Amino acid sequence: MAAASLLEMEDVRAGYGPTSVLHGISLSVPEGEIVSLLGANGAGKTTTLRAITCGVHWSGSIRFAGRSLSKMRTEDVVRAGIAHVPEGRGILTELTVEENLKLGSHLRRDGAAVRKDYDRVFEYFPVLRERRRLSASTLSGGEQQMLAVARALLMRPKLMLLDEPSLGLAPMVVRAIFEIIKAINQSDRVAVLLVEQNARLALEISTQAYVLEVGRVAIKGASAELKGNESVRRSYLGY
Amino acid sequence: MQGLLQQIISGVATGGIFASLALALVLIYNAMGLVNFAQGEMAMLATFVAFTLIDHGMSYWIAFPVALVIAFAGGIAIQRVVIRPVERAPILTMVIVTLGLATLVNGLAGFIFGYVPRSFPSPFSVQTVDILGAFVSYRDLGVIAVSTVVLLAIYLLLQRTTVGLTLRAAAHHPEASRLLGVRVSWMLALGWGLASAVGAVSGIMAAPILLLEPNMMQTIIIYAFAAAVLGGIESPLGAVVGGVIVGVTVNLAGTYLPFVGGDLQLAVALAIIVGVLILKPNGLFGRPSVRRV
Repeated sequence: MAAASLLEMEDVRAGYGPTSVLHGISLSVPEGEIVSLLGANGAGKTTTLRAITCGVHWSGSIRFAGRSLSKMRTEDVVRAGIAHVPEGRGILTELTVEENLKLGSHLRRDGAAVRKDYDRVFEYFPVLRERRRLSASTLSGGEQQMLAVARALLMRPKLMLLDEPSLGLAPMVVRAIFEIIKAINQSDRVAVLLVEQNARLALEISTQAYVLEVGRVAIKGASAELKGNESVRRSYLGY
Repeated sequence: MQGLLQQIISGVATGGIFASLALALVLIYNAMGLVNFAQGEMAMLATFVAFTLIDHGMSYWIAFPVALVIAFAGGIAIQRVVIRPVERAPILTMVIVTLGLATLVNGLAGFIFGYVPRSFPSPFSVQTVDILGAFVSYRDLGVIAVSTVVLLAIYLLLQRTTVGLTLRAAAHHPEASRLLGVRVSWMLALGWGLASAVGAVSGIMAAPILLLEPNMMQTIIIYAFAAAVLGGIESPLGAVVGGVIVGVTVNLAGTYLPFVGGDLQLAVALAIIVGVLILKPNGLFGRPSVRRV
């Protein structure tokens, strides 16, 4: 816990209408690190991410780069430097691949750096260059996930929130995407908060992990430790 | 044959007027999933603004863009003040609000300007020019030119600029757009502003032909509905093509079908609406809406 924390959540409660989902979550994401958020379905992983970008009503305290996100609008949280790849990927299927990417970079004014980032994104995901004039709805699930990650990368965020990037993808594609996430994290020092069902893979690339259980943090610790702990693995991570 | 060509060109000119108002309807339909029943009345009010400016000695070609800018600002103001409070309300509530808005704007115009029809100037003469043997008025050619320029400008704005891209994104996927930093609420307001300005073009083009009075747009809006439905209510291109088709059809029907004449032209438009809804509910350019269950 040496690095300064970029994102700090304290006793965050949230829910949908009368149903409360998070019962006081505290977690922190240090600058430049990958943190995994694990747990069963319905544990509150997606809601935690949605609270950060204010897609759900929450109470408690969420601070990003020293600034409180309380009462902020989603678009302003995003503009502050948080890229959120939501559940379902958030692809705009009426638009082309290229237009989707442009929506990632539309707020940036550093033209030369943007062009470089496009080159890099196309290097990571050559298929997006080939398909850039096609409607995003024609992409396969794996390609849509690539597009979502690429678009988030073009936003040049300080923090990326990734909601189940492996969902519904072939194991090979999952590997490739995780390697790229790791590469992005290392080359740009982008911090990542990764929600993932595939605990084994998530623990491999993250430095710290939190396991949620019905809206509370059940376990937290260094990823390497959790991975090595047989009983934690069996009872919480299911592998 | 020349007579037919003449009627077609004249129909295209009327079609340009329908197309502009239909495009306004489509812009708002895309932004909020509802038809703005006040669109015609807003266009009429903007036309009165243009009339007032010209009446006070402003030249036509300055009054025209100034009226569009005022219509644009007015559209944004209406969205912020009247529509935004009911944004999350059920669709029927919003429909009633736009109907109420139509009545309000109509009454307001009547209160301020009265109900006596006024002649509205046109910068184009009604003299005709010989095109392939057909006599076409400069006014029709002017209306076609102005509509083309405006529709092209909107197309370029939507398809080729960043603002246009974020506008389309906000209309189709508000939640996903917010996560990309798009200020969705302002984009919807901008959509209302644009729709209001495009609608104003329709009113200003129609006024010299119809005479300006508060109920001027009430038939035009029916033709615009027909055009938008024919083109597929979500498609801007469809609205334009639909507008031209409706304009030409109505004109030809009025000329060549003796029982239609001048009196039943509106019935032709309604027949188009009903026919499209029965035979091809998504219109010419609309996508079939598929829902997963």
